[in-house]
Amino acid sequence: MINLIDELRVKIIDTLNLEDIVPDDIGEEDQLVGGELGLDSIDVLELVMMIEKDYSVRIDNKELGAEVFANLKALAKYIQKKSPGLSN
Amino acid sequence: MTDIRVYITGTGLITPVARGVPETKASIMNGARGIGPLTLFPVPRDRSLPVGEINELFEIDGLPRTHQFALIAAEEAMADSKDAPDAIVIGGTTGGMALTEKHLKRGDTSRDLFKYHATGSVAEYLAAKLKCKGPVITVSTACSSGTAAIKVALEMLREGKAKNVLVGGADSLCRLTYYGFNALQLIDPAGARPLDINRRGMTVSEGAGMLLLEGKDKAPDNAMAEILGAGLSCDAYHPSSPDPEGTGALAAMRAAIKDGGISPSEIDYVNLHGTGTIDNDLSEARALDRLFAEDKPLLSSVKGAFGHSLAAAGAIEAVISAMSISDNFVPGNAGCNTPDPELRLNPVIEPIERDIQTILSNSFGFGGNNASVVIGRPEEERASISSQGPPHLAVVGCACITGAGKTRMTEKTVSEGRSCKGILPIRDVSRDLSLKTVRRLKRLSRLALSLAIAAHKDSGESDDPNSLFFGTGWGPLSETYDFLTKLYESEEHFTSPTDFIGSVHNAPAGLIAIQFRATGPNITTTGGDYSFEQSLMAASLLTKGRDDLILVVGADESHEILSGLFDDSVSGDQTPSDGGGALCLRRADTSVGLRLFPAFFEYSKDNPSIILSLIDNLGGPDRIKSKYGALFAGIPGSHRDTGRNQLSQFLASSGFEGPVIDYRRFTGEFASASAVAAVLAICFAREGKIPEALCGRKSSSLNGKGILIIGLGKFVTAVEVIT
Repeated sequence: MINLIDELRVKIIDTLNLEDIVPDDIGEEDQLVGGELGLDSIDVLELVMMIEKDYSVRIDNKELGAEVFANLKALAKYIQKKSPGLSN
Repeated sequence: MTDIRVYITGTGLITPVARGVPETKASIMNGARGIGPLTLFPVPRDRSLPVGEINELFEIDGLPRTHQFALIAAEEAMADSKDAPDAIVIGGTTGGMALTEKHLKRGDTSRDLFKYHATGSVAEYLAAKLKCKGPVITVSTACSSGTAAIKVALEMLREGKAKNVLVGGADSLCRLTYYGFNALQLIDPAGARPLDINRRGMTVSEGAGMLLLEGKDKAPDNAMAEILGAGLSCDAYHPSSPDPEGTGALAAMRAAIKDGGISPSEIDYVNLHGTGTIDNDLSEARALDRLFAEDKPLLSSVKGAFGHSLAAAGAIEAVISAMSISDNFVPGNAGCNTPDPELRLNPVIEPIERDIQTILSNSFGFGGNNASVVIGRPEEERASISSQGPPHLAVVGCACITGAGKTRMTEKTVSEGRSCKGILPIRDVSRDLSLKTVRRLKRLSRLALSLAIAAHKDSGESDDPNSLFFGTGWGPLSETYDFLTKLYESEEHFTSPTDFIGSVHNAPAGLIAIQFRATGPNITTTGGDYSFEQSLMAASLLTKGRDDLILVVGADESHEILSGLFDDSVSGDQTPSDGGGALCLRRADTSVGLRLFPAFFEYSKDNPSIILSLIDNLGGPDRIKSKYGALFAGIPGSHRDTGRNQLSQFLASSGFEGPVIDYRRFTGEFASASAVAAVLAICFAREGKIPEALCGRKSSSLNGKGILIIGLGKFVTAVEVIT
């Protein structure tokens, strides 16, 4: 789980071109959308695409977005639970 | 302002529901739906979604579907007309994209295969087929393009710039929009169910709608309906999501109703934008609530039957509205079983026979670009509308970017007679923009945004620009290429929603609007080397009666692969170049100070007297000699011979003897080089002289005269910079 969180930190920065942010800036429980990171609905969709591509986990943004993308911990937990490639 | 009123005297349709206007009416009354599986290109099984596809076509000699749709609908609209239209205004977003995608996927590199790629090539194709001399204008404001095009045509007719205009919209299904809207999770897997409680999105579709509009002082016998008015606005809220309160939509509807000289209570029926996405329908419903309160007219969305054909939708729905008025019916809201109570709307579910006098038709799009049109019964007695305002476009600020740098460096380099060809590094383009602002922006958006901010700064005006016009020959090439590359690399599974949103031609103008909170008209035009001239013409037509600050921006980016494939002028020059220019303008009564006027726009094909027509339009040889101290000539590399001949003829026939600056030799080859030329002309006119290095042996002083900027080649254009 900790590895997954660290991995996601890097992937988020990379996917969203967050040039002024380093991985440690994203706290596990920091609000991802609308928080200090400045992410919005388009970023969420970009992450949805990345997560399906890299973890084979599909997320319906309208139904699950708010819950799954609440913070890094929630996101990692959801991916861990749903990804066929990751063991619980 | 004259008493010219604008009538619909011809209509044409091709949609997934039916081909032809009478056939479409029959299908609407039968409740037909044109939504089904996609067959046009293969998609992975887990990416299969319903579309509105026209099944009877065809690939003819490399002619894209969009062009075919456009011609089919145009020929129907023109069937009873003996003469060519005076002008053509077409809404488009994808042009020949479907074919381009196929060739890019195969790795084809023959430029001839991409000759119909440009969004603007649809209108040009129609002009060639219908022998229209022009103006020929393409409006590309995403899903509102078709309706925004009607507004441009309406003003052209009211101004007396044309007696009849063929106006419409055309788009075909392609991977970009199919996968793009899917990446945004905006597609309903069950097919669009506008206004329904269970709606989950739209259905992407294709087609064309065309209208022949005639400007007359009273209704001709064959008038189906009258265009009473149209209104534009911009949300200035978000690149792809509508303002949840519907403020922009409300502004467009109010502007259209005011322009039509009527009141909301006179509207009998609203043809909704009604895409079926959760956010659009909610935003539009709130806007309608604010406009009509408890007294709402009949309303329905046809997109549950027709799907959403993007730029074509507004034009198709205008044709359906004209039919509703002439044939007394209201189309049903297919796909809606249980209206969503949150919307507080009571749509007409099944088609009904009804006497309808006046209709409001809505179209909203990415970039927050909103357009509404009011269509009425032609025999109605109405007071004529006057929005006469200050006649001049005064220049209050300008800025440019070229390979040499920004405005000052460009002016200095050209003044020394040196070339400013090349590509300014992207970090220099966006040096003055914050990391947060540019995080998601690629080259064209950064160019356009930087130019807009710099031109406004140069103006020193305290208010922000509110009306925006953007001309681009090729749109955001980086986003388009990156979107398709990612798609192909993942075997059509993954792509970037950000690139999709950024790939629409009007994305840069939407960002400029957000930057300045500019909620006025927001129009993007495209048409190769004449895109900036189109945006100036749109600005001139759509800002009369307004007192806000106006921005007109022209920009194009150089893309390593696509620029050379699409633009023959680029491939013929060894030094890739890009950039653009921006002008900050304001309507003014005064006849002192620098002013700008788009004076001429005609198509060269089958138009042997085009240069004489230009001279005539400029007021003849004597006026030309007395008004202009210098001539800027834009001759695209791919039309060098034609352009040179046109220039020689102009000089010989007008007797103009001042300095002639062949500006592409300095700017390099890119579609919106004329925007840089306009900025340089303004800089030189402010100084009252042309730098000696550009004058040869001729006098460098302008002696108080202005500068004429002409575009040559496929089209001939003229823009006056008057002092």
